[in-house]
Amino acid sequence: MREHLPILLVVLPMLAAPICSMLPRGRQAWLLATAVSWAVLAIAASLLIRVHAEGTISYALGGWPAPIGIEYRLDGLNALVQVLVAAIAACVLPFSGRSVQDEIDADRQPGFFALLLLLITGLLGIVATGDVFNVFVFLEISSLATYGLIAFGRDRRALLAAYRYLVLGSIGATLYLIGIGLLYALTGTLNMQDLAARLPAVADTRTAQTAITLVMVGLGIKMALFPLHLWLPNAYRFAPSAISAFLPATATKVAIYLMLRFVFDIFGVGFAFGRLELNEVLLALAAAAMLSASLAAMQQRDVKGILAYSSVAQVGYIVLGAALATPIGLTASLLHLFNHALMKGALFMAMGCVMLRVGRTDLDAIRGLGRRMPWTAAAFVVAGLSLIGVPLTAGFISKWYLVLAALEAGWWPLVILILVASLMALIYVWRVVALAYFAPNESQRREEAPLSMLVPLWLLVLANIWFGIDTRLSVAMAESGMRVLMAGPP
Amino acid sequence: MTDLVWPPALLMLIGALLISVLRGRWQALLILATPLCTLWAIWQLGDGVLQSAPFLGYSLELVEADRVRRLFATIFALMAFAGGLYALRQASWYELSAAYAYAGGAIGVCFAGDLISFFLFWELMALCSTLVIWSAGGDAARRAGLRYAALHLLGGVLLKLGIVGLILHSGSIDLRPLVLAGWDSWLILLGILINAAAPPLAAWISDAYPEASPSGSVFLSAFTTKAAVLALILMFPGTQLLIVVGLVMIFYGIIYALLENDMRRILAYSIVNQVGFMLVGIGIGTEMALNGAAAHAFAHIIYKGLLFMTAGAVLMQTGKRRCSELGGLYQSMPLTTICAIVGALAISSFPFTSGFISKSMIAQGAADQHLALVWYLLTAASAGVFLHAGIKFPWFVFFQKDSGMRPAEPPWNMRAAMLLMAFACIAIGCAPSALYALLPYPVAYVPYTAGHVITQLQLLLFAGLAFFVMLPWMKRTLTISLDADWLYRVLVPALLHAWLRLWRHIDDAIDGALGRLSTLWQRLVVAPHRPSGWIVASWTTGAMALGVLLALALLIWRHLI
Amino acid sequence: MSQPEPTKPQTLHWLQQPATIRRLWWLFAGILLLTIAAEFLVELHPHFGADGWTAFYAIFGFLSCVVMVVVAKLIGYVLKRREDYYERD
Repeated sequence: MREHLPILLVVLPMLAAPICSMLPRGRQAWLLATAVSWAVLAIAASLLIRVHAEGTISYALGGWPAPIGIEYRLDGLNALVQVLVAAIAACVLPFSGRSVQDEIDADRQPGFFALLLLLITGLLGIVATGDVFNVFVFLEISSLATYGLIAFGRDRRALLAAYRYLVLGSIGATLYLIGIGLLYALTGTLNMQDLAARLPAVADTRTAQTAITLVMVGLGIKMALFPLHLWLPNAYRFAPSAISAFLPATATKVAIYLMLRFVFDIFGVGFAFGRLELNEVLLALAAAAMLSASLAAMQQRDVKGILAYSSVAQVGYIVLGAALATPIGLTASLLHLFNHALMKGALFMAMGCVMLRVGRTDLDAIRGLGRRMPWTAAAFVVAGLSLIGVPLTAGFISKWYLVLAALEAGWWPLVILILVASLMALIYVWRVVALAYFAPNESQRREEAPLSMLVPLWLLVLANIWFGIDTRLSVAMAESGMRVLMAGPP
Repeated sequence: MTDLVWPPALLMLIGALLISVLRGRWQALLILATPLCTLWAIWQLGDGVLQSAPFLGYSLELVEADRVRRLFATIFALMAFAGGLYALRQASWYELSAAYAYAGGAIGVCFAGDLISFFLFWELMALCSTLVIWSAGGDAARRAGLRYAALHLLGGVLLKLGIVGLILHSGSIDLRPLVLAGWDSWLILLGILINAAAPPLAAWISDAYPEASPSGSVFLSAFTTKAAVLALILMFPGTQLLIVVGLVMIFYGIIYALLENDMRRILAYSIVNQVGFMLVGIGIGTEMALNGAAAHAFAHIIYKGLLFMTAGAVLMQTGKRRCSELGGLYQSMPLTTICAIVGALAISSFPFTSGFISKSMIAQGAADQHLALVWYLLTAASAGVFLHAGIKFPWFVFFQKDSGMRPAEPPWNMRAAMLLMAFACIAIGCAPSALYALLPYPVAYVPYTAGHVITQLQLLLFAGLAFFVMLPWMKRTLTISLDADWLYRVLVPALLHAWLRLWRHIDDAIDGALGRLSTLWQRLVVAPHRPSGWIVASWTTGAMALGVLLALALLIWRHLI
Repeated sequence: MSQPEPTKPQTLHWLQQPATIRRLWWLFAGILLLTIAAEFLVELHPHFGADGWTAFYAIFGFLSCVVMVVVAKLIGYVLKRREDYYERD
């Protein structure tokens, strides 16, 4: 049993999904999905502990050893990302109960939870597998589930948003597929470790270089790297509340993980950054993302829109740290990957509460929120402070490392860039907070969200504070992930 | 090494948290008990690093105690107690909660043994003090709080960059005396000086403090500037630049207080003046001068808190804040008047008050180092303190010509807090050895010599004579005085405006070529990011797909050439 | 918040009677002279020279205050603005 945990983690939600869809009532489906998400979190956590105690876990699927069979390979990096995905899922699912009841027709609710479980399967699978084609399979599972889930949104524009994501997502997946196809043609292997070992011999070929470019652009779409982010804002904005809380915290993070894995572990820094100078491209795009998306966020009139653009900007921070390719830079990048999931999860959840009570999330709906929904508003403030990077919140920790990495590399312009982008974050968060606390509203009625939503929301908010104060766990995890990446290809 | 110690800051923060939850009698009990427990914890601390915690891969020294740190923490805790008593019945729970967290931050700064925990507590103070200002409610408080927050944000960013730089350059996070060399130590000094209200970045203090609630300004007067003084004692003792900065602050404070009409703004300027004395002491940097700076901070917190309490009582009972509208209140508020006079005498360092035994140590420090000019200026400034705070404040608020108002004394808890502080002012002045025993270095100084008492009386009483002789020159006017905040409140907007006009003129001269350029930024950068702009909206699915393929083609082409 | 009644008292408070004020001035002047006189009874420890002169502190204190008031007055002409200065557009 114990040795099969890596595969159980992925299979459990996959098996639960069809059961879920066959359950007659949405409530039952929700209960099952919630139970599964907690079980998944428990498994993921136990795996992470095992990785730290015993080192990398390699699991051969169906007993076929790599490189012939598919290998699930858990190390300090992806075990952490798995826990992140599982933890956010375990928080969002209890939260989703009330908001799904409110936003989605009763007869469609079982289908919704089934798709959500498939999405979790896909994301966990991408992270766990050590096989690049298997990655593609899970990428498609998660993407198809996402398209469906976004289309559940109450607003009619959700359909268009889902359709656009479908087109762009499919292009991304196709580019990725062509890329790994070329690599397979060159090296004759799909196993990541094996690929990394054989790639140097053929690195000088144009085929290899084209393959890398295809993979990177394909993943760029999935992680919403500027300017390939165009699908994201509307998808997040019009998706059901639970989905807009889940996606930004997990889906883009998994894609970023994949990019890090390819660049550092498969292609190797020397090749991807040294020879092909991809780091320059990434740095430029990261900087553009931070400025352009923040500027867009500042001018949005819908809070979910603000948060969506802010997510694009935050992807910039994460890529920035990785592109520096120093130990501190990578640590910063991984920390921000983790911390940003916490803050964006909390912020979107707060908007889910507003959606439930007010029915919309535009800036007008926020007026006087501090009085009407004090706990929700306070949660937004704390998570917003974390997003800005105020000390004693998780956001401060990742920004601290980013500034440290930039100063260490002697890149003053990057320090200024980080400061300017933080200032812009302050402005767009402040717009919301000022309305919530200083704008009068004719309705002073208390209409706080139900506890079933407040508890998961505040769990994430407290996590933002916890990881802003006790950094032992998060920094140690990020550093162990960093060491995996810095070690490079085997 | 790490036995069980109660971090005093933590006690204060827990208290702040509980105050926000509890109500009624339990809340009142907590308000009074929290600072006392904290005080107890402070005095349980021996010297050295007592508690460390891992953070960001470093080992933080969360609690490091020594004599001067304990001294500042003690007065901060005492001030929290007096402020809590004063605010007990009148302040809202969120103001009290924020104020106690603010005090917790200040006490945390006192015991921070390394730069990172110092910065964390420092920022906690900035955040909570902003909340204290905002809890007064109303538009003026909101805007003043925003300006306050913006300036402290700037200070925080400078400090953070300096600290990161210092850690990178020296590899150590230890909080230690620094030499002003390299951008990192300069940034740290600048960040601290903003909090110390050194001109030209002092305007936030007279801008924000008078907008807080009566009790809010009592808390505000105590912590931020004095935490900065402690930071300077710990990091920049003997930095001669501070003498100059301090002297500028001293006279800036006097001149602006003389011009001011708002009673709490007079007191705010007077904080700048008093912190200036402390900075001079730190800049001189001898044991005598550092002792003086520390003792003066201790004494200052008490009498300035007292003065703000009396001003707050007047504000609460009359609803008036301008000297020109007040006067004659001694008839119906005798106790408040007496307390204000005690505070005023103490700030002017009259013999047998706390100011006398602390400020004179700084002057003695200057004399010992044969800094003649500094000494003469300090002596003139001592007379000036009596002028602007010692007489002006009580005279215009409680005496001068009768305003006709007969407000009652404030409630019992406010009276009790004022009496406590007034008693402390006199007790410290009459028995200085108790305070001297707490100072960082052994004290060999004897404040009460007949000569010292007589010369000080001469100086102050003739300053008083000057006040009454010059009284016609000090007619209160319904005015405010421009300060450095004018730069960001008026000049910058005006410059922008002028720039736009100039731009338009040049533009007209060259047939609108510039106009097209100026809209270029709008059109190319800002507008596209609007919800309807092209970067944000107007992408059809096909266009997106095409864009992706273009990006791909570009990247492949880049590799293949 | 108790709103005080703006009543004009019938008789002036003793502190406001002209006779009292006159007496206070005389008392004040007496004390001023006493402080100078007392200087001769004690031993001073001048640090720099000028501070050893007779009545140095009295003259220095008085003059520096006059200078500060005058300077403030002059600066006031430049810096003083109406109270609603920042509120106006």
